[in-house]
Amino acid sequence: MNSPAAYLVPASVDEAAGALSRGNATVLAGGTDLMPQANQGVRVFRHTLININRIAELKAVSRSGDWLRIGALVSVTDLLQNSTLRGICPMLAETADHFASDQIRNAATVGGNLCNASPAGDLSPPLLALDASVEMACHRDGRLQRRSLPLDQFFLGPRRTALAENELLTAVQIPLPPPRHYGRFFKLGIRPALDIAIISVALAGVLENRKLNRVRVAFGAVAPTPLRARRAEALLEGRILDEETIRAAAQAAREEVTPITDVRASAWYRSEMVSSMMRRLLHEAAGA
Amino acid sequence: MRGPDPEPVAGPAPRTIEGASLIGQRISKLDAPDKASGRARYIHDLNLPGQLHAKIRRSDRLHARIVSIDTSRAAALPGVHVILTAQDIPQRGLGVNKDNPALKGEKVRSLRDEIAAVAAETPEIAAAAARLIEVQYEDLPAITDAAAARAPGAPLLHDNKPGNLALTFDYEHGDVALGERESDFVVEDTFRLHYVTHCCMGVSGMIAEFQPNGRLLLYSNTQVPFLHKREFAEILEMDPGDIRIIQPPIGGGFGSKLDIYPFEPICVFLARAARRPVKLVYTREEEFIASPTRQPVILTLRSGCRKDGTLTFRTCTTLHDNGAYTSWGATTPFVMMQTISSLYRLPHCRYHTDAVYTNNPYAGSFRGYGNLQATFAVEQHMDRLAEAAGMDPLSFRLKNAQDPGETSLAGLHFRTCGLKDCLRTAAERSEFPVRHRRAAAARNDGSRVKRGVGMASMLHVGGGAKIYPSDGCGTILKLDDFGRVTVMTGASEIGQGSETVIAQLVCEELGLPMSAVTVVNNDTDITPWDVGVHASRTTFIAGNAAIGAARLAREKILRAAARLAKSDVDSLDLHAGNIIRKNDGEIVMPFAKLLRALHFSEQADLVMTSFYYEPPSKHQDKTFKGDVSAAYAWATQVIEVEVDTDTGMVRLLKVTAAHDVGRVLNRLGIEGQIEGGIVMGQGYAVTEDLVIENGVCRNPAFRDYKLVTAPEIPEMDISFIETMDGEGPQGAKGVGEAPAICVAAAVANAIYNATGVRICALPYTPERVYRALHAAGAG
Repeated sequence: MNSPAAYLVPASVDEAAGALSRGNATVLAGGTDLMPQANQGVRVFRHTLININRIAELKAVSRSGDWLRIGALVSVTDLLQNSTLRGICPMLAETADHFASDQIRNAATVGGNLCNASPAGDLSPPLLALDASVEMACHRDGRLQRRSLPLDQFFLGPRRTALAENELLTAVQIPLPPPRHYGRFFKLGIRPALDIAIISVALAGVLENRKLNRVRVAFGAVAPTPLRARRAEALLEGRILDEETIRAAAQAAREEVTPITDVRASAWYRSEMVSSMMRRLLHEAAGA
Repeated sequence: MRGPDPEPVAGPAPRTIEGASLIGQRISKLDAPDKASGRARYIHDLNLPGQLHAKIRRSDRLHARIVSIDTSRAAALPGVHVILTAQDIPQRGLGVNKDNPALKGEKVRSLRDEIAAVAAETPEIAAAAARLIEVQYEDLPAITDAAAARAPGAPLLHDNKPGNLALTFDYEHGDVALGERESDFVVEDTFRLHYVTHCCMGVSGMIAEFQPNGRLLLYSNTQVPFLHKREFAEILEMDPGDIRIIQPPIGGGFGSKLDIYPFEPICVFLARAARRPVKLVYTREEEFIASPTRQPVILTLRSGCRKDGTLTFRTCTTLHDNGAYTSWGATTPFVMMQTISSLYRLPHCRYHTDAVYTNNPYAGSFRGYGNLQATFAVEQHMDRLAEAAGMDPLSFRLKNAQDPGETSLAGLHFRTCGLKDCLRTAAERSEFPVRHRRAAAARNDGSRVKRGVGMASMLHVGGGAKIYPSDGCGTILKLDDFGRVTVMTGASEIGQGSETVIAQLVCEELGLPMSAVTVVNNDTDITPWDVGVHASRTTFIAGNAAIGAARLAREKILRAAARLAKSDVDSLDLHAGNIIRKNDGEIVMPFAKLLRALHFSEQADLVMTSFYYEPPSKHQDKTFKGDVSAAYAWATQVIEVEVDTDTGMVRLLKVTAAHDVGRVLNRLGIEGQIEGGIVMGQGYAVTEDLVIENGVCRNPAFRDYKLVTAPEIPEMDISFIETMDGEGPQGAKGVGEAPAICVAAAVANAIYNATGVRICALPYTPERVYRALHAAGAG
């Protein structure tokens, strides 16, 4: 592990963005990905380490208009315990319940989990299924600017995102789910927790009369990035969840993913599980 | 086979005072408060003044000739004191075949091979220097498949080992051809057992210091300090008397610290060259890559029985992947043969093992010592034969189970044998027969999640194992003027609870509370000889040694008390820190007062006793026959599982275990040991898999090496079958390894019961199970 030459603890997004604009910096949030990667030598600290943990704004959860705003530093434990979040997005709590261990959940942040951009990152599929956007801030023309990007355009590849070097991810924004919104997350691993997904899947939509509208299906650990299964979504949109529809959607999802073989599972098994878990979640939705 | 003994061996007589016995009580481990509160000082916490830190430079080639080693850049790094390569130390091989030099000079044979070692001011400098050592190799063809290693023309790993054969084992009784002719049903399968590793929370480590008088002081995690003195002496070309080994609290052993491994002499050679204490502690990654594994085995078993369910024969052939060097893993056939030949009555048996060199990691000893592998095969065949003969698994096993007093054709004499009680108890408490029938009937009901129960039994040494010239242990007892007792025992504490049980056995003899005893068990300059912590022997052997010393002390105290109190020795007893009259419990005098009266008298005397216990077992002959242990442990476990046919996920719901433990000494301790063993067996069966691909360990971290965690631990129902072994301390037998042994076999049988699919390879990860179900059309 190398040592950063400078260490900054900004108190505001403005200060953090200012520091980032000078370049050659590494951002520290929960550290649950950064530190093991640094210790293993797969990640090198840049000149300046910016610890953003004292920026109060980034820890806030708020509702405004039709949007829910989750600050980048909201922890995975918050997803489980914050009653506003649980009420609006129970699927995020369901996901958090399969996330690593208690200690890691306390430290790990929503923003960090997305910026790490692991294909198997636990929070990506449910946030994709919730149509989340990410808010990013930077200094441009000498002042703080913010932009928003749909999450499905954020992931560019394994460990690569659309976040520019001078940008800080500040929040995740989720459109408030409409009535009868239904969302489920499933993670397949050898253990029920403290495990990296073999595959993960999130299903969301408005469920009425055994039909799903505004269907979102998202997968983790089956492609270079977390991804939406848009053909499966199209096959499901507005249709009664009968056997034939479910089978067709599961088959479509299977054809949309491009998993690899690694130490955790083979590509074949991952593909099988994509259709198998798709079927399971859809059968559950049909019976809900 | 001999018939039952005419008279069962009686257990020890009960103590005279009602309610006074410590035996069978729930006693907290003496070391628990320190360990649970983080105050125990492990080797990682110890630092000596002037100490340097060591790092080993390992091979990054599988099989290669070393062309050159350039240490100049490393040596130039500020803070580096010593760099050693093979040319700096004597080239003596370590291990069973003496084939493993501490530093490799001529060639490397696996990725973990030690090429050079650095001692430096800090661990960071040592690590940086190790990386700066430049090694040039000339690659040789590598073999990472045991079958390929035996093929004609395969490259040789060791020039003096033709055919890459490291060791072979052969055993035979009866006539298997005759047995096969007498069989109505014959089954054969090939079982594939994988790599797992111990995952001790305390990684391997050592501190070596040469003292001004030339003696060597080692702070070591070893499980075998007295054997190590001799081994170190040979390698270091020193007098073994000049070596002192102190063991700080050991963060788990499970067999991993039973052999001498290259890092240990490397640490000493560095200390000798640097003239400073040197500390060498593994990183977790190093622990995965460079500490021994459980022995991987390809095992082909052929078994038969008659129509009425009587077993007729077994033939077993195994291929052991020896890895690049030979450690204890290659000798696991010693134990495997016992299960193949003697778990159930068996008239005809043949066994053969080839252990072959490959460029893979090598295996060491690991809790169960080959028995998990052998039992996995044998107990699946018991179910297969039962099904073939139209019998249920319980009746089939009961039909072939031994009775107390029998001697197996391998010469194991079962003075006590609780196998039938274990079978019946586990079956009854788990409702095995009805659940087994019900699950088999529901197999094809179309449900996604299947349930099933599986049964497996095991046999393991429970009274030591006479492998070395002595299987004994010494104890010295010292009583002070205040009624406190110091027990000096050769037996090491590695977390298994031996310290507590030894204290308990001494207190039981001397009528003292646990608080009166201190156990010293970690310094070869103080404690008497013991062969080491292995073979589930410590409670049995060290317990008997402690009882022997305590009884001598008791005799001496009672004789002195009788003299002083002018009464008859036989009328006195020791109870609750006092000398009492037996008939009415009246206190004659406090224990401590008597000790002072004895000490501060004209014939001044102290109570100090010693006892050496050697079990009455025998060395096996050259054909591996003979009564190698003074007692044998038995167990049956019934495991209920749930199989998700969509994912292949296997969940253990409940383990019902019945263990013949001789007698429960410390109920809390034995429950913990059995629960822990079951969880270790569960990891072997379901989650743990050290993935070795072409000689490379692919998951050297807890992220991808999956230990069982709390949520997956099943409900457990543990019964103790108390057979009161006549030779055991207070009737107890060893139980350290037993609980891990039959878990995988029971899970295998349960998966079959649930799905109708038999899977002969471990571990039962979701993908493996899903593939098997898919192939069988049951998925």
